[in-house]
Order: sequence, then structure tokens, then C-alpha cells
Amino acid sequence: MRCHGLTVHGTNHRGFCVPTVSPLFSRPTRPVTRISFPKATLKNDGLVMELSFYELLGIPESGSLMEIKNAYKQLARKYHPDVSPPGRVEEYTKRFIQVQEAYETLSDPSRRAMYDHDMAKGINFAFNARRRHNYHDQVVEQKSEWKSRWQSQLSELKRRSNNKDGGGNMSWAARMRQQRDELSNES
Amino acid sequence: MAEPAYIVTSDSETTGEEKPSTFSEIAIGIDIGTSQCSVAMWSGSRVELLKNTGNQKIMKSYVTFKGNTPSGGVCSQLSHEDEMLSGATIFNMKRLIGRVDTDPVVHASKNLPFLVQTLDIGVRPFIAALVNNMWRSTTPEEVLAIFLVELRAMIEAQLKRRIRNVVLTVPVSFSRFQLTRIERACAMAGLHVLRLMPEPTAVALLYAQQQQQNAHENMGSGCEKIALIFNMGAGYCDVAVTATAGGVSQIKALAGSTIGGEDLLQNMMRHLLPESGNLFQNHRVKEIKRMGLLRVATQDAIHQLSSQTSVQVDVDLGDGLKIWKTVDREEFEEVNRKVFEKCESLIIQCLKDAKVEVEDVNDVIVVGGCSYIPRVKNLVANTCKGKELYKGMNPLEAPVCGAALEGAVASGINDPLGNLDLLTIQATPLAIGIRADGNKFVPVIPKDTAMPARKELVFTTIHDNQTEALIIVYEGEGEKAEENHLLGYFKIMGIPAAPKGMPEINVCMDIDAANVLRVLAGVVMPGSRKPAIPVMEVRMPSVDDGHGWCAEALNRSYGASLDLVTLQNKA
Repeated sequence: MRCHGLTVHGTNHRGFCVPTVSPLFSRPTRPVTRISFPKATLKNDGLVMELSFYELLGIPESGSLMEIKNAYKQLARKYHPDVSPPGRVEEYTKRFIQVQEAYETLSDPSRRAMYDHDMAKGINFAFNARRRHNYHDQVVEQKSEWKSRWQSQLSELKRRSNNKDGGGNMSWAARMRQQRDELSNES
Repeated sequence: MAEPAYIVTSDSETTGEEKPSTFSEIAIGIDIGTSQCSVAMWSGSRVELLKNTGNQKIMKSYVTFKGNTPSGGVCSQLSHEDEMLSGATIFNMKRLIGRVDTDPVVHASKNLPFLVQTLDIGVRPFIAALVNNMWRSTTPEEVLAIFLVELRAMIEAQLKRRIRNVVLTVPVSFSRFQLTRIERACAMAGLHVLRLMPEPTAVALLYAQQQQQNAHENMGSGCEKIALIFNMGAGYCDVAVTATAGGVSQIKALAGSTIGGEDLLQNMMRHLLPESGNLFQNHRVKEIKRMGLLRVATQDAIHQLSSQTSVQVDVDLGDGLKIWKTVDREEFEEVNRKVFEKCESLIIQCLKDAKVEVEDVNDVIVVGGCSYIPRVKNLVANTCKGKELYKGMNPLEAPVCGAALEGAVASGINDPLGNLDLLTIQATPLAIGIRADGNKFVPVIPKDTAMPARKELVFTTIHDNQTEALIIVYEGEGEKAEENHLLGYFKIMGIPAAPKGMPEINVCMDIDAANVLRVLAGVVMPGSRKPAIPVMEVRMPSVDDGHGWCAEALNRSYGASLDLVTLQNKA
């Protein structure tokens, strides 16, 4: 096998790449560019882009968890590639992934709250807007969700005291993020 | 109607989505277990198991090499026990398939009464059967293919027609590489894999059908039911948590491990004869015979311990070596304590991953050959807070019945009675990601993601003016890259010169309807909307049998020179 070490400037330093600071606290806030990959990527001009998660699932914004689950299962019966008509598998697969995304967001109370908040602020978070999931956010989310109950109560207390300390001007989402960061620090 | 000639797929190619061309109203499900095998058929609104000429529904999974034509457990009327003693019989292929010789599971297989040789360098192990005092080499794929040919002949003789599309059940812990080996074995046997279905998800589909029928009978509301499915056979242990409503089985989480009856058996063999490991090292004819005798005696003892509390083991291994020992159930449970603990941890892990509390589980289903062991039933019930176990399923037949149902659903068969208004939404049993952030495994598609799926993550360079990046794709749950299964790798070249952290390397993973994984990678420079170089698309897995060797070589040759880190951006 050929060695490609020469082609790289600044070359090979094993261990060099280990981040020295916790990535959670050194986030450059540069927005990343979307590229559209061939095939299953959505067309930006399609009607689908206009649909909110609620519209995708065909339920009102006040819909209960039960309604969300039922709508999801019904739509899955329609769009899942196992049951879709042979000629439309690819198209339906795209739709299934969208429905899945809507379901995952709306069936999780905290993610639904964030989504509702963004919608209320008039940001048009249609499908794909949150699709670029952030790995670290996800890890933090998983950690925070599965803390034992006393820990989450504890952090709730901490969050409140933090707010008193001057977090009062922060947006709801910023407070949520802070709360999650705190949780991850405790772990 | 003319059937197209069978085309053998290439190494990197799994068979694509294919709706059957013939208008078939039957579907075949096959459950090839580590020790047992069965076939079920969907026909005329119901599922039934097929029997072999010996009137057996459950057949032994083995192939005996004798003379010119190897024969498998489908037709062979000789008992497994007798055949096993000679060294001519290969079994447990499901534990060996797609594994390299550094794998502990392969090493544990060296105690079997045939030859498993390892060089411990990360290549395919050498496997051979003793035929007329000669070691005849073979591969797990070949053994499986021979067995499948026999199965196919049995099915075709009964149906009086050719079959091609089948659904096979597989363990949850199988890597995508192992799945390709199963597909390869099927291709060798002239079968087309319609779906490879994790065993507990097949049970989940059968459960969904039962719930659907109950709902019809009781005019019920059809509200969502959560089931925990525990499946333990000879080779593997799998757990699934599924949410079922209206015939749709949504797999919420999967957990699996290579533990099973084979481990219970080997631990027991060591308990009865502590030096058994060394005794059989050289694989001489006499030793193989001893190994076989001990194996059969131990197996019988374990079976008896399911119904009685103690058992007398009395076996003469020859040359004055005799075992005469009373073993009670507590002893058996103590010897295998670690195995049972692992089972418990799999259940707990699966519930946690599914984000389901034990109290919310409606039904607990235990299936597989090990479900007859009292300790196994107890541990599942106890872990589920003493919940009574579900009764409506045959523990040995449930997975294969589910596979036949899936076959019927996936091939578009329409049942006027509504027995096929079913659907499984599968989840990824393992995370799929790439090596980045040092030697870390960074998942792009997390574990338990609903399939089909498409996810992407953005990475960036770690050196100034880094023009190349190595994308190494792994599958698994380990934090470090090398703890996972290597699926493949490719290099991105021609990244425009820029300070480190500037180029955005977008890695997208796509699992389509046929469970084919594609990895796409593109490079975008800030301020531009267009990819700087053509996007790469690679079908995975792309590695071959030497993948253990290959992972190490990659690390040695490239180190961190072509590494990536995740690009942090505001959510």
C-alpha cells in the first residue's frame, strides 16, 4: 500500500488530532452549507418543503401523543417501501423518512416544545431545517434524558437558580441548551 | 412463465430490491439456527411449517462430509449425535460465518469436534472436516450453502415448483459484513434473499398479527402495545422492544450478543472435565471421539436439568477416563452465572435504548431453544418486574413464522382476509459511522434508527492545507474506532488548500428499502454552495474476508495523517 503522508501539509502527527478542549464549549457558530446529494435528497422546490411536521402527519397542532402515534403508523402503512407500489418505492421512501422525522420530533415532548417554539417565532422550520443533526447535541440529549429522576430534579433546581443569577434575559432555547450543558457536566 | 437465470452477485453487491416477477401467492421464511433449522410457508391465508421426509419440523443444522457428496441435517436420517463423533460433521456455522481468526467466538469454536484453525492475524479461519483420515477444508459459507441446497430441494419437492425468494432470520448482533456472507451462501444455493430479518423482529411481526386478530375479535380500540421479545438460541441472544398498533410493528430498540446454548454447553463441559480444553487441542481422531462423547453427555444433562433438579452424568471417554458426577440445577446456574448476567444486561440495555419503562411493557415474550431453561425464563420475568410471560407463541416456531409473514408482506401478496395488513418498521441494530476526532467512532446513523434512513454529519480537516481525507466506515457500539466492525473505506482527494477546520466535509449515509448502505461524501468550501469536487458514493460493506488485517494495516500506514474531526456548528 502506498503511503500518502507526503501529500499532506503539516503531516502526520499521531495524537495531534485529539481535541484539547471539550467541543461543547468551543463551538464556532459558523453555519454550514448544505449540499444536495444525488438520489434520495429532497428537491427544495417541492411542495413537501412547505409542510410543517404537523401537516406532514396530518394532525392539528394541538394533537395528542396518541394522535401523533396513530397518524405515524397509518402513514407508515402507506409510505413504507415494503408496502408501497413497486414503481414508487424511491419516492415513497423519501416520504417515509420525512414522516419518520416528523414523528420523532413531535413524539418527544422536549423536542416538540422546541419545534413549537420555533414555529411560533415565525421561523419556517419545515422539513430539513433541523435535519442537520448535531452529533454532540444528540449525545447530550441522550445523556440528559436518561439521567435518573433525582438528578433531573436537582438540575431543575440549579437551572432556576441560574436564571436568578442573570440568565433571565436568555431565550427559552438558550436556557434549554444551558440546562443540557449543565447536565452533561454533571455526568 | 420463464424464470430469469440466477445471477451470482459480486462481493460488494447485495442483491437489490426486487419484486417477484411471477405472481406468487406463497412466501418462504427460513430460520437457520446455530443448532436447529426450520422452514415456514405463507400459503392460502396462513403460515405453516414444512416437514422433512423424517416428518420433522425442526431439523438439525449440520453438514457431514463423507465420500463424494456431503449431506446435511435436512435429509439425513442418522442422528446428529452419532455423526458428530467422527470429525466429518461441521456444525455451528452460524457462529463462524463472517468472522476473522482473532475473534474470541472463533477461538471458542476450537473445542468443536472438527478442525478450526487460527493464525490470529485477522483473516478467515481455516475450517476442515475429517474425511477418510484426511482434513478436507471448507468455509462456513460453503457449509451453509450445502445445507440450503438441501433445504431448497426439500421445499421444491413438496411444493412441486421452483422457489427463489426467501426471508432469512439473522441474529441482531450480526454485522453488515456477516449479512453479506449469508447472502453469498444463499446465492451459492440459488436462493434470492428478499429480507434478512433480525430474529426478534420476526417474532414481533407474528405478535403484531396476533394483536391485530385480537383487536378484530374484540372490536378493540387497537391502541399501542409495547412488547419485549427475548430470543436465546444455541449461538446468539437477542432482545427487541417493539411498539405495536394496527398491525404495524415499530422496532424501538434492539440488543444482541454472541451468547447462547453453546456457551452453556462449553462451560458445563469445562466444569465436568476441567482439562477438556487442552485435551482436545491436537484434534487426533481419538480426541475428537472423546470430545463428541463428552459433548453429547453434557448436552443431555443440560436438557434434563430443565425438567429435573439434578442429573447423573455417567460417561466413559475411553483409556480409563471416566466422568461419574451428579450435577444439580444450582451448580449449572452457578457455572453459567456470567452468561445469565449478560442476558439480563441485554434486556436492561434494550429497554433503556427504547426509552421504555418496565412498567409500560404490556407483553414479555420468550422464544428460542434456551427458553426451556428455567433460569432463563426466571431471569427475563424478574428483569421485567415479575411480569407473567406471554403464552400465545411456540418458542421454536415463532421466528420462522414471522419470517414467512414478512416474506408475504414484502412480496406484495394480498390477503382478502386481512391477515397480511402488517408492517415491520425495522431499526438499525448497530450504529454506523466513521473514524474521526482522534481514534473515535463517530456515528452518522445512530443505533436504533428507523429504516430506511438517511442521515448526515459535517466533518472538517485537522491539518492546514490537508488535501486528502480518509473515510473509514465502521459499524458497532464501541467508542474507539477499532472496537467496531470495519465496513469499508475510501479517500477523498483534491480538497482545496485551506486552513484546518475550514473545508466542510459532508458525510451522508443512506440505507434504502432493501437495506443497502451507501456512504456519500462531498466537500464544500465556506461561502460556496456547490461541492468543490465531485461527490463520492460508495456502497458498503466493501471489505472482504481479510478485514481484521485490513483495519490494522490502515491504521499503521496512515495514522492520523488523513484524519477528520466533527465540525461543530450551532444547531
